[in-house]
Amino acid sequence: MSALLEVRDLHTHFFTRAGVVRAVEGVSFSLARGEILGLVGESGSGKSVTGFSLIGLVDPPGRIVSGSIRFDGQELVGLPQAAMRRLRGARIAMVFQDPAATLNPVLTIGQQMALAVRAHGRASEAAARDLAARTLTRVGIPDAAARLDAYPHEFSGGMRQRVAIATALLHGPELIVADEPTTALDVSIQAQILAEMKKLAKESGTALVWISHDLATVSSLADRVLVMYAGRIVESGGVSETLRAPRHPYTRGLLDSLPATARPGEKLNQIPGSTPSLLALPPGCPFAPRCPRADAACATDPPDVVTGGRLVRCHHPLAVAA
Amino acid sequence: MRPLSMPRYCVAMLGFIIQRLLQSLLVMLAMSALVFAGVYAIGNPIDVLISPDATQQIREDAIRHYGLDLPLWRQYLAFLGRLLAGDFGRSFVFDIPVLELVLARLPATLELALASVLIGAFIGIPLGIYAGYRPEAASSRAIMAVSVLGFSVPTFWVGLLLILTFAVNLDWLPAGDRGPVVEVFGVGWSFLTAEGLTFLILPALNLSLFKLAMMIRLARAGTREIMLTDTVKFARAAGLAEFTILRRHVLRLISIPLVTVFGLEFASTLAFAVVTETIFSWPGVGKLIIDSITSLDRPVMVAYLVLVAFLFVTINLVVDLSYALLDPRLRRGGRA
Ligand SMILES: Nc1ncnc2c1ncn2[C@@H]1O[C@H](COP(=O)(O)OP(=O)(O)OP(=O)(O)O)[C@@H](O)[C@H]1O
Ligand SMILES: [Mg+2]
Repeated sequence: MSALLEVRDLHTHFFTRAGVVRAVEGVSFSLARGEILGLVGESGSGKSVTGFSLIGLVDPPGRIVSGSIRFDGQELVGLPQAAMRRLRGARIAMVFQDPAATLNPVLTIGQQMALAVRAHGRASEAAARDLAARTLTRVGIPDAAARLDAYPHEFSGGMRQRVAIATALLHGPELIVADEPTTALDVSIQAQILAEMKKLAKESGTALVWISHDLATVSSLADRVLVMYAGRIVESGGVSETLRAPRHPYTRGLLDSLPATARPGEKLNQIPGSTPSLLALPPGCPFAPRCPRADAACATDPPDVVTGGRLVRCHHPLAVAA
Repeated sequence: MRPLSMPRYCVAMLGFIIQRLLQSLLVMLAMSALVFAGVYAIGNPIDVLISPDATQQIREDAIRHYGLDLPLWRQYLAFLGRLLAGDFGRSFVFDIPVLELVLARLPATLELALASVLIGAFIGIPLGIYAGYRPEAASSRAIMAVSVLGFSVPTFWVGLLLILTFAVNLDWLPAGDRGPVVEVFGVGWSFLTAEGLTFLILPALNLSLFKLAMMIRLARAGTREIMLTDTVKFARAAGLAEFTILRRHVLRLISIPLVTVFGLEFASTLAFAVVTETIFSWPGVGKLIIDSITSLDRPVMVAYLVLVAFLFVTINLVVDLSYALLDPRLRRGGRA
């Protein structure tokens, strides 16, 4: 079966006054229909920019400088805006982090969803409301038809995010890019939404790119995981093998900094240092200055080491656990 | 408009309206006192009313006739009592009821002010949104240049230029005066006939330039800000066309400051269209007040200023109420 999404050597740069920010630098991955892909990394690693590149919404002064994004066989890089717009919301949808910021506070839920319905074809007022209500019901909003006339501020944070998810689901997209959609929510609500997203994706065969800096979330949801650092993918593979036995020292560091993996009483092992500026990255492995395993070899670009469906980009990968 | 939670909404709105009405009443009271005290200090109307060679007897009779012999506070109370009874007194100069005098002039100013604010809004808002949407485009820079002009070029100069161009040189439009009016509700309006409109157009354009500049600025600043928000990104992610995003999302989100300025500009134009009314010999209240100041026609001045205060208070009230319509978050339980 051919992949739904094929990203090859994607480069997305921001041409700022201070210089060129290489936010995405040579990212490649593919995604099958119905697959859930976790995209993790520290803040500033380029996860969101990767997501926006997929849906063709990179803000100026940024743009995709090279690479290829094939969606169901169609090349998206260089696609005219009008054609891209017809895909957005219809076949590729996106959900954002903060539902309080994404929904328009002065329009009712019904009005906003109707705009999204009509973005892809004519629909009568009644038909648009009906589709909106049915989709809201699917994401677990009770009494949806009556709630259409409510404003976003009349919903809780979790309910607002369900509205945003329902808006993304309206046209039954084949791919949803979800950019930290649960980060702004309470932990208990996070778990509910996660479970529902998983169910919805599996039911409808929608592929999901789930962006998160929270490895725990990704491990419970995703089939595969991509670990990003400084705009590159440093490790990828099946979610359970990768998180059980990471091969890149950065992934190891991310796991060690999780509260759940630390033994009680032990302090959390934060990765020393911070993410480098993308403006002037020195050659070689960008993680080397923070890496416990770094040596002279790391001054050159690390190779992609592929073994059994897993990829690691490192001169000194950790041994695969026996 | 909303079927949802109508009773709660209405109660909240009613409380809000009552609270604002009381506030407005206090403002009006304070204004009437200030206006009365202020105007009292200007000149002695008796000198204007009767010739200098009138006898002492005539002089004293006149003073008594107009109540000018009473202490200031008695005059104010009497004035306030008459105001409440709808009696603004008689003009010293024209010797007809002031209310009649002002109301005869008000429609002319009303339609001029409204026309100019509407022109400013209907042209300025779209231009401003466009300039905010495409801040780097050459056309946007041109729009901003127009708005700078609108702010900095004096009204009278533009007025003279308009007359020179469209009335004198091109001879397309009349240079001044009000032209024919149509009587509705017992008062005359220009905007109801094509010919009346030709008289309205130049003064309205003249007055609208500043409002246009203001609307452009506000709409542009608001649009620039909103375009960067996740609301717009999310709408784009849902596949909405750019025009739909501007019309349905952005316009609604920037409407509150626009409505505020619309209201304030409307009110201040009603009160202070003097320059334009003078240049175009437009028979509005602006001309009336200037005439009454030069002739020290105190009742007219007082009535006019009270009327202006009343218009401001009313328009502010309407603007505040429209906030609640425009921003649903304000509808819950009124505001403190
Ligand atoms: N509009 C922009 N102009 C300039 N640089 C940008 C812009 N947007 C993003 N970047 C840069 O791109 C890099 C990647 O940003 P991105 O938002 O993808 O990070 P992220 O992994 O999503 O982080 P977070 O977890 O904080 O959301 C950052 O260094 C950021 O500074
Ligand atoms: Mg991000």
